[in-house]
Amino acid sequence: MSTYTKPLPNVDDDSRPQWEGFKQHKFLLFRCKKCGAWYWPKSFCRNHENAPMFGDLEWTEASGKGKVFAFNIHHMAFHPGFQPDIPYVYALVELDEGPLFGTNIVGIDPHQIKVGMAVEVSYDDITPEWTLPKFKPVGK
Amino acid sequence: MTTPKYAIVGLGMVYGPYPEGVTARGAEAEAGRLAIADAGLRREDVDGALQLRRTAGGGERPAWADAFPRMLGLPFKFFFTVGRGGALAGLGIATAMGFLELGIAKYVLIVGGVEDFKNSRRTKAEGHRGMVHSEKAGYWGKPFGDLRAPSHHSFLAARHMYEYGTTSRQLGSIAVQERAWACKNPKAKMYGRPMTIEDHQNSPFVVEPYHLFDICLVSDGAVAFILTTAERAKDTAKKPIWVRGLGSGEIADSLWWEKKNYTHMAVKTAKEQAFGQAGIDLGDVDVAELYDCFTAEVLFQIEDYGWCKKGEGGPFVAEGHIGPGGDVPVNTSGGLLSAYHYGDLTCLSEAVMQLRGDAGERQVKGAEIALVTGHGGELISPGMCSIHTSLVLGV
Repeated sequence: MSTYTKPLPNVDDDSRPQWEGFKQHKFLLFRCKKCGAWYWPKSFCRNHENAPMFGDLEWTEASGKGKVFAFNIHHMAFHPGFQPDIPYVYALVELDEGPLFGTNIVGIDPHQIKVGMAVEVSYDDITPEWTLPKFKPVGK
Repeated sequence: MTTPKYAIVGLGMVYGPYPEGVTARGAEAEAGRLAIADAGLRREDVDGALQLRRTAGGGERPAWADAFPRMLGLPFKFFFTVGRGGALAGLGIATAMGFLELGIAKYVLIVGGVEDFKNSRRTKAEGHRGMVHSEKAGYWGKPFGDLRAPSHHSFLAARHMYEYGTTSRQLGSIAVQERAWACKNPKAKMYGRPMTIEDHQNSPFVVEPYHLFDICLVSDGAVAFILTTAERAKDTAKKPIWVRGLGSGEIADSLWWEKKNYTHMAVKTAKEQAFGQAGIDLGDVDVAELYDCFTAEVLFQIEDYGWCKKGEGGPFVAEGHIGPGGDVPVNTSGGLLSAYHYGDLTCLSEAVMQLRGDAGERQVKGAEIALVTGHGGELISPGMCSIHTSLVLGV
């Protein structure tokens, strides 16, 4: 019986391998084996013609590092499970590999966060089945 | 300029809250009844029906188990649901035009109704806040607290502030000017409730940088309109409002590595298409009904359509151009921010009223060309709202 009260990840077969990676504390992005380009969410490679059914690409461990691109501070809980977390930060992190990634910034006073701040993944094992890839300032 | 082939000939509005026992379905049927009467038609004349729903954006499911055409008793030859996020009117018109062109229908009744306010009261009792969404498969942000539109739309404001130094007071001036319009619209939720910039600044943060008054209303209501061909439009009761141009763009054509899609909207292609068909330029637009789910969306469109340069929207709106008496009348009903949130049907219905000269105290004198825009619908996680529809209506 879990006491976790927030929404759990909404996973489909396009995102399932990535969530399995998070559970093992691995930060996977979708990468082209032919040209090395990184994608998130899952995409065909934009740089050239593609092999059938994403055959040129695979989920690949990435750095889990990036910089804050944009962030906001939630002062109201839209869902009762988030009430204890107010104020919390939802952010877009520009990953070192390129994609923008939606996540929480933790381990810092929300009003000390700046656009461009270097951040890295910080895994939150919310239940035995699920791990959320949150981000924190590098070195914290 | 293309000679217009289609016209809006009837408009029906049901303003919420609904009487006890009335559903959105019933309100849609009632709005349809009003639109048919407004056009001087009979139910028997209407042979096609479209329902407008935020099927992709807000995540509502089509109400096909039962729906307004059956309830209203239309002899319809087709009925289905169209919509993406808050972009409803432009997509509905484009769809109806196809059926009219093929001769499948003579008059198409296009209707969108919401009961978001009623639903929000219900879920508030369970500890939730804001508009109720049903979740799309694979939606990313919920476990991180990306639960409602302000959770990700606020990135647009935050990023514009970072890149161009735009301030909360500048965004607030948009809300203040729209409120001034609402105070001239007796049907607006905020009629009789004027607002100052201090009121905006003192309203609580919901998702910082957005204060409460940067965020649109949640409403109950239904809007119906009838589209027909130029030939038939000559015989209806009201002055036809012509569809002079219609265009569409998607911001997700600029991908993540371009990093531009958080400070502009997909206006460029939509504007070129719509204004090109209409044979107009920006100076010809007498009234602009711009989709305003949040203040920054208005700011972006003012820049993207070219009323000022990119990045200069903050100082521009703070000069007071868009409110009553300004040279660029924007959202003359009070908009989604201060009148009622019926998706972009708020924009479309106001444009029809302005072009008919039926807008009462808020009438923009001599309005002959109206711009109506739509926006919304995630296409890339996290939370990108990507579609933009541009509709030019004229007398």
